[in-house]
Amino acid sequence: MRDDLTRAWVALIALSAASTLLAVVVPRGTGSAAVGAAILALSWFKARVILRRYLGLAAVPAIGRGFDLVLALFMLGALGLYLAA
Amino acid sequence: MTDAPVIERIPGDLMIWVLIVSELAVFGAGLLVFLAIRLGDPTGFAAAQDQLHRVSAGINTVVLVTSGWLAARAVRSAEDGLRAPARRWLGLAGALGVVFLILKGVEYGDALDKGIGFETHVFFSFYWMLTLFHAAHVLAGIIILALVAVHVRPDHVEAGAQFWHMVDLVWVVLFPIIYLLR
Repeated sequence: MRDDLTRAWVALIALSAASTLLAVVVPRGTGSAAVGAAILALSWFKARVILRRYLGLAAVPAIGRGFDLVLALFMLGALGLYLAA
Repeated sequence: MTDAPVIERIPGDLMIWVLIVSELAVFGAGLLVFLAIRLGDPTGFAAAQDQLHRVSAGINTVVLVTSGWLAARAVRSAEDGLRAPARRWLGLAGALGVVFLILKGVEYGDALDKGIGFETHVFFSFYWMLTLFHAAHVLAGIIILALVAVHVRPDHVEAGAQFWHMVDLVWVVLFPIIYLLR
């Protein structure tokens, strides 16, 4: 079952595990800016995989790029608010 | 067909995409307000967040993205005219939705046992509001998946699966901000 959907699912599992491990294993205060940025970046990648593979936007790259951009701006806004605290 | 306007090539019904964008905007606005309010009390927010079940929420992420994979497989089966497999994939996707809600219920029960309510801290006001609103979408999604499984039609299965992926998409944005960023 090594099709595109299964590859997307494997990628989502790996990205989810990575973000949870980062938050659980890294002690609070240790490189918190980098950890926060990494967690939000992983979330952006997950959203991108869901949009392109599960929701089929890989077939419409122009709209896929639009979603990528808006989600990236959202994540940057979230990161800015997180770091400003 | 590649000469068709981009908007006509979007997968599924345009209205489901209007719904997806609307839901993302609502949850996104709620999460940005949450982070803006956190500016006034980052220590209190971190202490409140430490009372949540990060690992359980992480497991729920795996449950939901796996459920999304099953729903996507249901669409492929329905498009291929394979009604029984499509129904089976939809059933499994919905079952994992139930698992998500059970884990969420355990998490909520534990929070209530600790006396954590809407007014315990502003962190928890947002926690309850956003996660309960999302859980309501999960419940609605389970019902939709069950409905489209009754008479398998490719367009209906695709619409049901798209709603389910929207629920998945909201969770992968909500989860890190509420549970992980500290």
